[in-house]
Amino acid sequence: MIEVQNLTKSYPTQTAVADVSFSVKEGEIVGFLGPNGAGKTTTMRVLTGFLPPTSGTARIAGHDVRTHSKEARACLGYLPESAALYPEMRVREFLAYRARLEGISGADVRRRVDEAIGHCLLEEVADRKIDNLSKGYRQRAALAGALVHQPPVLILDEPTVGLDPAQIVKIREMIRALGRERAVLLSTHILPEVDAVCDRVLIIDRGRIVAEGTPQDLRTRLAGKPVVRAAFKGIVSVAERLAAIPGVLSVAIEEDPDETRARVECEASSDPREAIFQAAVEGGFVLRELAFDVASLEDVFVRLTHHEEAPVEAAVPPAAPEEARPS
Amino acid sequence: MKRFLAILGREWRAYFLSPLAYVILAAFLVMNGLIFYAIVAFMSTPGAPKGQALPYLFTNTYFWIFNLFVVPIIAMRLFPEERKSGTIEVLLTSPVSEAMVVLGKFAGALGFFLTLWAPTLVFVFILRAQTPIDLGPVASSYLAVALLGAYFLSVGTFASTLTKNQIVAAILAFGMLIPIFSAGLLESLGSDPARRDLFGYLNLWDHMDEFSRGIVDTRHVVYYVSATALFLFLATVSLAAKKETP
Repeated sequence: MIEVQNLTKSYPTQTAVADVSFSVKEGEIVGFLGPNGAGKTTTMRVLTGFLPPTSGTARIAGHDVRTHSKEARACLGYLPESAALYPEMRVREFLAYRARLEGISGADVRRRVDEAIGHCLLEEVADRKIDNLSKGYRQRAALAGALVHQPPVLILDEPTVGLDPAQIVKIREMIRALGRERAVLLSTHILPEVDAVCDRVLIIDRGRIVAEGTPQDLRTRLAGKPVVRAAFKGIVSVAERLAAIPGVLSVAIEEDPDETRARVECEASSDPREAIFQAAVEGGFVLRELAFDVASLEDVFVRLTHHEEAPVEAAVPPAAPEEARPS
Repeated sequence: MKRFLAILGREWRAYFLSPLAYVILAAFLVMNGLIFYAIVAFMSTPGAPKGQALPYLFTNTYFWIFNLFVVPIIAMRLFPEERKSGTIEVLLTSPVSEAMVVLGKFAGALGFFLTLWAPTLVFVFILRAQTPIDLGPVASSYLAVALLGAYFLSVGTFASTLTKNQIVAAILAFGMLIPIFSAGLLESLGSDPARRDLFGYLNLWDHMDEFSRGIVDTRHVVYYVSATALFLFLATVSLAAKKETP
């Protein structure tokens, strides 16, 4: 439903998006993950036809956003970053306006508005002024506005930004439900969001896609070698014993006043936990903790977008210009 | 068309959902009421020139002061407000052309402008109760108000596409309207007949004089309509260009 090929968007002084290609299928929720200013919003603005691409193509439901902009826009529901709303309007009025703007007329307007209100759980506030709503309700009203015409493609720019945890959970549930029969592209810089909502992740940094895959896939592929954490009572010298275990690559020791912590990096697909236990027994150490350190998506993300260290994969040219996101 | 009406309707209603509309409306009606009173009082004094009272409503100095100041204020919010709230993104990413957006917003503003004038029709009924009135000049006067309002508002619409700031938009519009209005005043300064003709053609004050006496000169109508079209076109171009550099 969304196809992007070699998309580039440059400004006179900088390249915001460089040669980006990806696609989103129907029934798929794809997370667009990247630090602030990585080019997420710019890419989305090109997809929605708000900005013209410098080169490359983008298609929404088969319509080129440049040559068939109107058709592409008709298939699209867009939630801009700033939850664009008219504060003086009532929720129902606003949704009816959005529906009419999309070309829906007559009795259909009312029906679609009611559906959107139901979908986004806005019944309580449907007749209240948007100005008087809480941030969570506003975000939901904006989301309802984006899907009132039931588009096959949804583009959501940071849909949960600025919400409290309970509201975030609600919005995520809504997005998951929406994604069942639509193609959804959502951007975020919040990692748990990707884990909670997305089927697939695109990590973008400095305008380039640096990694792509399911959250699970990215973790195993990019998180590096498995690590076991072990903690022993008291200050003990366990380093040599641990290093001697087959499969162990390196051991890092950290000493607390009453505890010795070991970070044991081992070869992929090896499990040194039993051997560590044995080593503790043999040495007469009291083992307090022993577990695999589950690499989080956070680790992957930091690894890929942290510029002091060389990225693991798909190296970013160090000269890639920084994007100052246009507002 | 549906989409045009949706934009027009929202725009027109938005005026009445802000205090600004009521301030303008109240100021306008108080001012026009006073002027109307002054005109009628003047016409009732012995020795006053014979003729209709109503044309003075459209040819007095305050009429021009009002239009030159209030039209920029009416138009200033059209695009800056959308930019500020981010709704411009929603508007321009919905399947609506930029020209339609400009036209819809302009028509909403014109609707508000005409709503300001609508209550002045009461003056016509008041006069009619007391004295016979020729309705032809009344009709042509209100036509002129609509044409002039459209012209000035198209300038204001264009100005509002140029900036994110409402105040700046209003000042820009005022700055553009002043030369448009004063061009006609140059008529009396020129000695070259061709130049006099040119500036005469642009003399809004004279046009209004004629309209208020019931003369609908198509040359004037063509001037207003084509100038309105030009500024709306410029607004569309400017809006499309602004998309490029948000």
